[in-house]
Amino acid sequence: MDRPNNTPLVTLRNLHKQYGGGETVLKDINLAVNQGEFIGLIGPSGCGKSTLLKMIAGLTPVTGGILDIAGKTPSDARDRMSFIFQEATLLPWLTVHKNIQTTMRLHRVDKQECLRVADKMATLVGLENVKGFYPRQLSGGMQMRVSIARALSISPQILLLDEPFGALDEMTRDHLNEELLRIRSIEAWTAFFVTHSVSEAVFLSTEIIVLTANPGTIYKKIAVDFPYPRTAKTRESPEFQRLVGEVSHHLRSVDR
Amino acid sequence: MKKHLIWILPTITGSVIIGLWYAIIVIGGQPDYVLPSPWQILQACVTERHLLVPAALRTGFAAIVGFVAAVGGGSLIALLLASSRWVKMSFYPWVLVMQMTPLIVLVPIFVLWFGEGLPSITAITFGICFFPVVANTTMGLVSTDKNLLDLFKMSNASFTQEFFLLRAPYALPYFLTGVKIAGTLAPIGAITGDFLAGTASTYAGLGYLVQNYRSQIMTAELFAVAFVGCLIGFIFVAAVNFVHWYLLHNWHESSLKAEH
Ligand SMILES: Nc1ncnc2c1ncn2[C@@H]1O[C@H](COP(=O)(O)OP(=O)(O)OP(=O)(O)O)[C@@H](O)[C@H]1O
Ligand SMILES: [Mg+2]
Repeated sequence: MDRPNNTPLVTLRNLHKQYGGGETVLKDINLAVNQGEFIGLIGPSGCGKSTLLKMIAGLTPVTGGILDIAGKTPSDARDRMSFIFQEATLLPWLTVHKNIQTTMRLHRVDKQECLRVADKMATLVGLENVKGFYPRQLSGGMQMRVSIARALSISPQILLLDEPFGALDEMTRDHLNEELLRIRSIEAWTAFFVTHSVSEAVFLSTEIIVLTANPGTIYKKIAVDFPYPRTAKTRESPEFQRLVGEVSHHLRSVDR
Repeated sequence: MKKHLIWILPTITGSVIIGLWYAIIVIGGQPDYVLPSPWQILQACVTERHLLVPAALRTGFAAIVGFVAAVGGGSLIALLLASSRWVKMSFYPWVLVMQMTPLIVLVPIFVLWFGEGLPSITAITFGICFFPVVANTTMGLVSTDKNLLDLFKMSNASFTQEFFLLRAPYALPYFLTGVKIAGTLAPIGAITGDFLAGTASTYAGLGYLVQNYRSQIMTAELFAVAFVGCLIGFIFVAAVNFVHWYLLHNWHESSLKAEH
């Protein structure tokens, strides 16, 4: 499924969304995303960010326009996609190790392989010491790590993240942001990342999309050119601060 | 300290109640057949044991049969109700109607249909116990976390995978809550059942003994039956609670001890 560099991996053309016969949620969304990009989606509450991710995941139907993923429809492409929700969304009756394996099991990955990959993923997200724990025994940040490990276990091509760190305190969030980029440097997936935090969006993204509400349209696309690897130091640079200011400004003008 | 209080306090309150009981007898001076003393009740338990023990075993057995029927049948009904919104909308009101119908009125009909003894007693126990199983299990099956369902959908999970790996375990705590309530009702159902539909020749459980003692105004013996029924209830509830704990203690909030 690898694409030549000049063809986008995900193409949205005049994408339109309406639930039932209700109001238009998203309108005229045009976007071409190349492999390896990290798209930060930001906009007022209710503008359709989650809806956009769900459409890409094939969890809710497209009601107009084109959504193409490497020549496939979303529901045909979703076995190479992983969704990470705001809550960790773990199965409380399974241990960390088994939780990491759930998606692989559903993909009918062979058992030996499941165990091997789950071990690898647990180590990748720093959970190798709590593999036998149940979700309730973990902090919110650790639960989120399980969720990330589970999402990465199937080596996704596309990662969809819907405010994954929204419920966490700022320190944990910053830390997980850094980890996410560290993992990305090993695992090269393409990401769509919804957030309400401007500095998080700037820190992670290659491109930030600011959306308007009612109906949701693209207000601004802002390229973020800081080189990777980005570290805690990146946040302190004046350039970073300037960009945070710029994005915040755009966000204020759509959020009246 | 706290640990001992769990035993000490009920022992004290129990002693006070027994003391009051004797006080009422001494002050009021009622005849024994109106209010026997705790000691007479204990004696009745011993002298009537040749009747009480087999009756208790029969009632216990009937409770188990009725309970199993209610849990099995109730789960099946819940599965059907949860299978689609349409089925639920069409049939749930009728399940409620069944639950609201005073069961006692139906007993003669049960006896007519199923005959006296165990079959009717089972039907009555079922009637008393099934509703909490149906209501709770249905609730559990339809309230599966939306995101988890999306997660399974993303992995193109089959219907059976979704049911056995997600919906069923998700509904388990709800189901067990229903089972717990059914467990407290089952012994009552069985005693009611053979009080109303038991005979010496078909099924002489505790309920039948009650009829027997009542006709002879054997009050201490009636209290003895109540005592034995209470014992059966405790055994039943303890067994059901153990199953509940065993299945959930690793992961579910309801079975977690406060951790320090
Ligand atoms: N399943 C649904 N059925 C009908 N309308 C829906 C559904 N899901 C979302 N909507 C509507 O679509 C609009 C966009 O919702 P969405 O959840 O995508 O917003 P969002 O940008 O993710 O908001 P937030 O930042 O608060 O998460 C809202 O007006 C919402 O009411
Ligand atoms: Mg959202």
